[in-house]
Amino acid sequence: MDELYLDNIDEFVNDHDKIVTYKWLSLTLGVHVNTAKQMLYHYLDHKRKESAAQLHATYLVSGKFVDNGQTSHKVSVVREDQLEDFKAKMSLIVSVHIYSVQKALLKDSGPLYSVDYDAVKDNLKNCSKYSAIRCNSAVPMSSLELQQSREIPEPVVKKPAMNGEANAASKPSTKPQKGIMGMFANKATPKNQDSGKEVKSEQKEDAPVVDAPKSKPAAKANPVLNFFGSQTAKKPDKTVKEEEAAHSSCTAEQQHQSSQPEEKQDTAAKESPKDIKKDYRSKTKRMEDSDSEEEKMEKKKRRRIKKPEPDSSDEDVIPDSPQQKETREASPSPKKEVESVSHSHQGSSETKTRKRRRVLKSRTFVDDEGCIVTEKGYESESYSEGEDDFQATKQVLKNPVPKLPARNKEDEKKSQKKTSANANKGTKQASIMGFFQKK
Amino acid sequence: MFSDLSAQKEGSSLLCRPASDDQGPVFERMSLAYSPCSERYRIGDRSFSRQYAHIYAARLMQMRPLLSERAQQKWGSDVLIRKLCDLQTGEQCCIVGTLFKRMDLQPSILKEISEEHNLLPQPARAKYISETDELILEDELQRIKLEGKIDRDKCVTGSIVAIYGAERNDGKFTVEDFCTADLPLQTARPALSSDRFVLLASGLGLGSTHADSMLGLQLLVDMVTGQLGDQGEQSGAATISRVLLAGNLLSQSTQDKDASTKAKYLTKKTQAGSVEAIRLLDELLLQLVASVPVDVMPGQYDPTNYTLPQQPLHRCMFPLSSVYPTLQLASNPYQANFDGVRFLGTSGQNVSDIQKYSSMDSHLEILEETLRLRHLAPTAPDTLGCYPFYQKDPFIFEECPHVYFSGNAPTFESKLIKGADGQEVLLVTVPDFSSTQTACLVNLRTLEYTVAFAMGFPC
Repeated sequence: MDELYLDNIDEFVNDHDKIVTYKWLSLTLGVHVNTAKQMLYHYLDHKRKESAAQLHATYLVSGKFVDNGQTSHKVSVVREDQLEDFKAKMSLIVSVHIYSVQKALLKDSGPLYSVDYDAVKDNLKNCSKYSAIRCNSAVPMSSLELQQSREIPEPVVKKPAMNGEANAASKPSTKPQKGIMGMFANKATPKNQDSGKEVKSEQKEDAPVVDAPKSKPAAKANPVLNFFGSQTAKKPDKTVKEEEAAHSSCTAEQQHQSSQPEEKQDTAAKESPKDIKKDYRSKTKRMEDSDSEEEKMEKKKRRRIKKPEPDSSDEDVIPDSPQQKETREASPSPKKEVESVSHSHQGSSETKTRKRRRVLKSRTFVDDEGCIVTEKGYESESYSEGEDDFQATKQVLKNPVPKLPARNKEDEKKSQKKTSANANKGTKQASIMGFFQKK
Repeated sequence: MFSDLSAQKEGSSLLCRPASDDQGPVFERMSLAYSPCSERYRIGDRSFSRQYAHIYAARLMQMRPLLSERAQQKWGSDVLIRKLCDLQTGEQCCIVGTLFKRMDLQPSILKEISEEHNLLPQPARAKYISETDELILEDELQRIKLEGKIDRDKCVTGSIVAIYGAERNDGKFTVEDFCTADLPLQTARPALSSDRFVLLASGLGLGSTHADSMLGLQLLVDMVTGQLGDQGEQSGAATISRVLLAGNLLSQSTQDKDASTKAKYLTKKTQAGSVEAIRLLDELLLQLVASVPVDVMPGQYDPTNYTLPQQPLHRCMFPLSSVYPTLQLASNPYQANFDGVRFLGTSGQNVSDIQKYSSMDSHLEILEETLRLRHLAPTAPDTLGCYPFYQKDPFIFEECPHVYFSGNAPTFESKLIKGADGQEVLLVTVPDFSSTQTACLVNLRTLEYTVAFAMGFPC
């Protein structure tokens, strides 16, 4: 081997004032690390013989070291002046070689590290090219292989996560999610809320109207009316008046019907935008528990059914003028007044008086995940004859009662469907309104 | 012994002029059969809405048969094993249940936020045990206070034990003896023909403000990758068949606790400290993986989930090193077979948590205790963050490992323990590298260990 490298090293050390480590030299000159170590030794030896400028060297010493009875393999970089001391402390020396050569005397190990760091960083792709160990399995993968190999681990690493999401979306699982959804739901339709509520309460009235003629008019209409009353009571600008009206609410078919058509119309008018909103929401927010998703599905279905409904049984009774008025009104307040009026009418014209009250009840149950969930919801309690039907309404009123439709099915189908759907919506918002009311 | 092995093969000295046409030796990295078995520590569908009671229920259900069996072995097959609800006052019997230690000093978020009590913020302590602690045993239905021959301070909440004694008139149970599930069965360790080493290191602490330890770390890397040392050293290093980094690759200082409370506009242009540290880690890993298979476990300060089991660090963080098939990003309790030698270990959170809540100080002692309890992390979920498992508790040992380690210990400690059924387990506490400059080599053939110091200038 020609000795050009001596001049090279000399240039690095003296002219560039560099710290020349074996690793840096190996990477710079492209020689095996062991050769680089020998080159450094040769250079140092050569220079020392010339006894030119003073050079400092550091050595690497490794070997067996016994300390407090614990044997260890120790690898250290030591300055030349400490070398013999250090070697004496080792019980078995495995290797000694020059680690670096530099002009200045090193005070700490920082510069040694940064020199190597820079060298390695410049040669990241082949940093172990000149080392003494080759690892057959450590071959960088090509981009194609990489893709393939990532597809393999991904099922392991990522798929579960994905599944998890999917599950979360489909599973009935989690109440918290529901709570969050609930929040979103409410936020998503803050403006619709009022109108939506009205729609609901109005639709509720539909139910009795439809059934009333068919079977036990008084008994049936009454609970529904109660329902209606409670709904109105829960409206945003709830007034005591209304509550009272609701309290004394009774069934007056005539009045009822007269007030109902307008509402009906309202429903028809306001339903479509609301529908869109809801759909959109259900699409974007996939995190839904099945409970609410079911509900949603049901709602969707029902909505679809509802559209044709206006021209069903009740259509004919609709008086035109109030209808239009209602549709135009965006804000709920005027509307509500109309409603409350109608209510009071109903109350006055009722022959049988029934006591009814709204109670905030908390229900605690263990959900599918085993979490204990407490839900508060308004229930309307009333003491009246129409027990079975009333039962149904009560259930409907309860906040998020998931399986209520089954109960109702025994009763009339069309109207009942509406009722339950509305009830769900209505009570949800009602409870929120309750929240506002407290403040 | 690693040094002896390396010294034997000493070839020509490097303190001489380079021979004219010598290309330098190249050794082949010893490979080993590797099969990861950490599947049980992967979390599939993550649902955080469940309550933690299920873990205790699952744990007790899984461990009750084991402990009943142990109890019968210890106190005779006719020992009366009772449930708490069937307990008769004064009757000598055995009960299997979950220990609960009521601790006054245990930090409680409820205490901290209770304004009406006007309590001072609870001081951070090294230990949370006190004289007033009470030990309570719970089974599925009831709980009972324990007294007698059971070391209150040593026990930790969440361990499943069988106690033997009788209930006194005052409703407390006087313990005469107790037993734990002890070591599970172990598959025999295959006889290996040659020495092969696995290097265990933890607490690299990249990104810390004082970088004194960096040369040490670089020396360790250079030793493993066969850069430094004589031929003997290099041929010895070639027998290091795998490197296992047991957590805390990043320094605690990369975690900026204030970041979440600072105003967004103040932190908009600042980069998280961990970004630079991860880049450093990527470069470091690149040097390693180009020469040796590496398993990387996350630790307490690493950018992955905090709760056990910690999921593997994401590949995207290592653009340079992740192109190598030799890089394995592993989960935090980590389990794998190296040539039939089963390794199981954690980055040390379980051990340091027990250290805080019991009188035990030595990481090695705690490590052994968890093995005897047959549970990796009994204090999870009480004082140690843990995923809300509900069907099974994956931290219960099902098979006895051959090497059981925990990372980020203050010092290196090791011990070979032997079980009643011929199990042999090497317990290793892998020290924090950034403060001790120590890593640990385990010989798969003999289960001997070597401490490897890598240092800059010795002072």
